[in-house]
Amino acid sequence: MSKAEAGKRCDRRQFLKASGAAGAVLGSTGLGFFGYAAGKDLETYTGCVNLEGAHQLDRTKWQVDKPHYEAVGPTDRPDPRTEFIFDRGMYRNTQVFQDFLESHPEVKEAEEEMARFRQQMNKPRQRPGESEEEYAAKIKAWEEQVKINSEEWDRLMAEDQRCQEDLILSEAWSNAMGAVSPRLSDLVQGGGRMGMRGGGILPGQGGQQQQQEAEPSWAQTSPEKTDAPRRREPLVMKDPKLTSKLIKKMAHEFGSVLVGITQLNPDWVYKYGRHGRGFEPDKVMEVPKHWKYAIVVGTPMSWDPMYANPNFGTSNDAYSKSRIVAYRLTAFIKALGYWARPHTPGTDYDLMVPPIMVDAGLGEQGRHSIVITPELGCNIRPAVVTTNIPMATDKPIRFGVQEFCKGCKICAEICPSGAITRDDKTVVRGYNRYQINYSKCHNFWYCNQGNIGCRICVAACPYTRKANWLHTTALKATAMDTSGVSHKVLTKLQKQLYPSQGKPEDYYMARLGGKNTSYRQPPWWLRTRDFIEL
Amino acid sequence: MSFFTSGLFWFLEGVCFCLAGAALKHYLEDRGIPMRWWKWMLFAGWVILLGFTIAFITTSAGENETVAALKGGIILVPISIITGAVIWRLLKAGRRPVISQASDQD
Repeated sequence: MSKAEAGKRCDRRQFLKASGAAGAVLGSTGLGFFGYAAGKDLETYTGCVNLEGAHQLDRTKWQVDKPHYEAVGPTDRPDPRTEFIFDRGMYRNTQVFQDFLESHPEVKEAEEEMARFRQQMNKPRQRPGESEEEYAAKIKAWEEQVKINSEEWDRLMAEDQRCQEDLILSEAWSNAMGAVSPRLSDLVQGGGRMGMRGGGILPGQGGQQQQQEAEPSWAQTSPEKTDAPRRREPLVMKDPKLTSKLIKKMAHEFGSVLVGITQLNPDWVYKYGRHGRGFEPDKVMEVPKHWKYAIVVGTPMSWDPMYANPNFGTSNDAYSKSRIVAYRLTAFIKALGYWARPHTPGTDYDLMVPPIMVDAGLGEQGRHSIVITPELGCNIRPAVVTTNIPMATDKPIRFGVQEFCKGCKICAEICPSGAITRDDKTVVRGYNRYQINYSKCHNFWYCNQGNIGCRICVAACPYTRKANWLHTTALKATAMDTSGVSHKVLTKLQKQLYPSQGKPEDYYMARLGGKNTSYRQPPWWLRTRDFIEL
Repeated sequence: MSFFTSGLFWFLEGVCFCLAGAALKHYLEDRGIPMRWWKWMLFAGWVILLGFTIAFITTSAGENETVAALKGGIILVPISIITGAVIWRLLKAGRRPVISQASDQD
């Protein structure tokens, strides 16, 4: 080989080496950009980009024959008069609730705690006609009771008011999200207000007057009317499996991110009729025969505000979406000639939703009592449609949540109200499960400045993470690991790498000794002071 | 979808890393460093570790999880550097004296 040829070969070799070095630098830089995109990309906000079911994972590999909970004794149905937190105001002064308090000291303790909080949150005001001396005496008595100086309280109140100003955009957003809600008339009167056929009326054609005359309400209409089909005879469905596929596709089309189907276990239906739902209140409720199946739909809460709970997040967004999906699905099933009834958030339920979600294979119930799904963690707000349309049902799934929750306890450690147990499962109405102190949980809803609720356990749960390579790898590792090693390692990593921004007591409003802390900073579009002069 | 999570991006990444691999082979040959299968395996493992380090830090930064990015960086970057140095010494094991191409031709 001549020198010239050798030199040329050498140059080619040098060029390749230089290109390789450049490739290594470019490749590594590219990995950096990939990582940043994986953390930032809206596509990793599972369920928010694609609402047609593309995010629902294939659950076949996790399916099991029996759900994770087990009946360990005689089972019973929940009593809404004492256990349904939203009806408590209605029953607080009844004998039923007083008897319940005697047998449930933890609820009694929570009731007393809330009375103390209310006293501390509200400084007495001077009533018209009340003399200065009388008012001063009243303030002194109040100061002694709440053990706080009046001037100090005023300073804390100002701090809370400043925080309230920070939340103007968040509140407006939350209210807007909750502003749209379907009505019962959409189900019993026609095919929707914009419908052309089936009784629908176009706006501006006298429809408003007709609706005012005949607007039905859940309270005044029995399930025989509200759940009734829109055809005299049901259409003959070819195959339950096909029907199931069709129903799921429709649920996704209607806006649901996750959907599952199960046969309804009557143990999950409230024992007594609730006020305002068309059943006779306070009487033992017979489960309607047409509530044979339960279809569970669900949508996630907006991801960035969810991480900024309890102050900046809301439940209204997902509540509203899931409600709309359930009503649409109900209307669809009724149009096929079958019975259907929506059970929707916030309070329009005749049954408990979490165990139905478990039965329908959407996830496993965690320590915080919320169902954890593989796709959305526990960032899901579900609704249920009970129906009699024949469908193939889904199997429950197991992907390691019970084993993980046993050792994790992050939600219990961060819960400001201390409502989540750090102990093992207990027997509740005959079923072995984690039991939260829902009364204490509910108390905290009124002890922070944010949109009503808390949701810190949702934000802090290690399963509620974005769908990028990092967290999906962790999910798969915990699902496959039967030794529990990965559970321990990942729990420790979670605590070290994703710590809460405050201690549990910091999440309270200033007047109650807190710092108005949020789990994470709010997204740019909820930072009021960046947009509004205050 | 972002370009950096698309299929085209991973194709380009593949091209870059193939080029880098080929260049490494020539570089090691020129320095008289023999490569056995286990050395390639070790090196591939280190590349994965380095990639994980970069992607972990940047993903955490993208998620606004600054604590995770910082702590992850503090732990993973020194590990990557130290294992890189150890692996480089292992790669150099059994190094032969280099005979330059020019003198070979002469």
